[in-house]
Amino acid sequence: MDYFEPKTLSEALALLETYGAAAKVIAGGTDVMVDIKYKEEPGCLVNIKKIPGLDAIRENGGSLRVGPLVTIRDIETSSIVRERLPVFWESCHQFASLQIRNTATVGGNICRASPSGETLAPLLVLEAKAKLAFATGEKTVPFTSFFQGPGKSSAGVNGLLTEIDVPYPAAGSKGVYLKHAVRGAMDIAMVGVAVLVTPDAAKSGLQGVRIGLGAVAPTPIRATKTEAMLRGKPLTAALVKEAAQMAASESSPISDQRSSAENRRWIVEALTRRGLQQSWRAATGKEVA
Amino acid sequence: MSLTINTTINGQAVSGSAEASTSLLEFLRDTLEYKGTKLCCNTGECGACTIIYNGKPINSCVTMAADANGAQITTIEGLADGDKLHPVQQAFIDTGAVQCGYCTPGYIISVKALLDRTTKPTPEDIEEAVSGNICRCTGYNKIVDAIQLAANRIAGRA
Repeated sequence: MDYFEPKTLSEALALLETYGAAAKVIAGGTDVMVDIKYKEEPGCLVNIKKIPGLDAIRENGGSLRVGPLVTIRDIETSSIVRERLPVFWESCHQFASLQIRNTATVGGNICRASPSGETLAPLLVLEAKAKLAFATGEKTVPFTSFFQGPGKSSAGVNGLLTEIDVPYPAAGSKGVYLKHAVRGAMDIAMVGVAVLVTPDAAKSGLQGVRIGLGAVAPTPIRATKTEAMLRGKPLTAALVKEAAQMAASESSPISDQRSSAENRRWIVEALTRRGLQQSWRAATGKEVA
Repeated sequence: MSLTINTTINGQAVSGSAEASTSLLEFLRDTLEYKGTKLCCNTGECGACTIIYNGKPINSCVTMAADANGAQITTIEGLADGDKLHPVQQAFIDTGAVQCGYCTPGYIISVKALLDRTTKPTPEDIEEAVSGNICRCTGYNKIVDAIQLAANRIAGRA
């Protein structure tokens, strides 16, 4: 296996161009090292940790820009993230163990493109964008179209994620990230649900709502039909129930060692219901009537 | 492709060679003969291989040996001062927090990293610090007792 530690972005992109599908990008290594031990070695390992400028969290007007080499622990201990992007913060707080959070990078969690990637449902509801670099140029892709299947993303085999742009939610919006797993720490989510609600000015109806579902489809997804059904309506208990069932029907989970598909649909329903109730309470100070 | 790794372990400059596919755990145990750090799940889930890497506890089994280059590493061998055990090691003995002992080096390293940050850990701090370490003898209560005792001793409260 060949091994490189490129010192610049263009050097890394040239390597990915040369090696194509034989190259594997590594940063924290918490997923890739397991693959090397238990699956197969790639033809070439490209360690991107020596590339400068990819490990900062910085405010940029109405959004937060997060470098791909920022660790999950860096995000968890960032007061800006906790204050401005609590849904994103929560997913990093619930992420694996302290040892893994100290090593794993947010770019790795994203580019792994696992349906159960902890940060992904939150990034979908926050309408974050991925800045990608290729040897041929750059492009910016919203996360709502970034994930193409398990392990497949718009970065492809020769692109690199260079920045994540996470807009701050509209004033008055509140959200939650709810994860269902057997163990508190270390466990991979059976289901993860992110909800963000924006009440109208009178706090009587939903001006906007976004629902992200993790681990229940080939990619993390938005429950767009449910969102459209809810938009503009006053949030009643009956509507919450209908929305939760609709979100479950928008999911397409598989059965695996963590859960049956049927159980996952029930959990989507329960977490969507709780997520809407909790977000509504946080945004309006009122219970769902 | 063999790489030369220059690192600092327990304050001593050390060199060795590793493949790109070599984990830091394999490099420590098999190349440098630091056998105190344990191999268990080898997937980053159990914490037996925990070391302190540039001040932070990490799982050495899912870290590249190549990343040890230029790093400051603390292993269980680096805690005792000659025959005098580190307060965390002594507290594990005094509270009976060791059963089979296989997970113990990883626990002690996680706890040292915690107590390097604070000698007044809250119950939440303790839970967070060791939630990535698994003890299959299930001696968790005594481990928590050991952490409190070590914190008190380090802070001069016991």
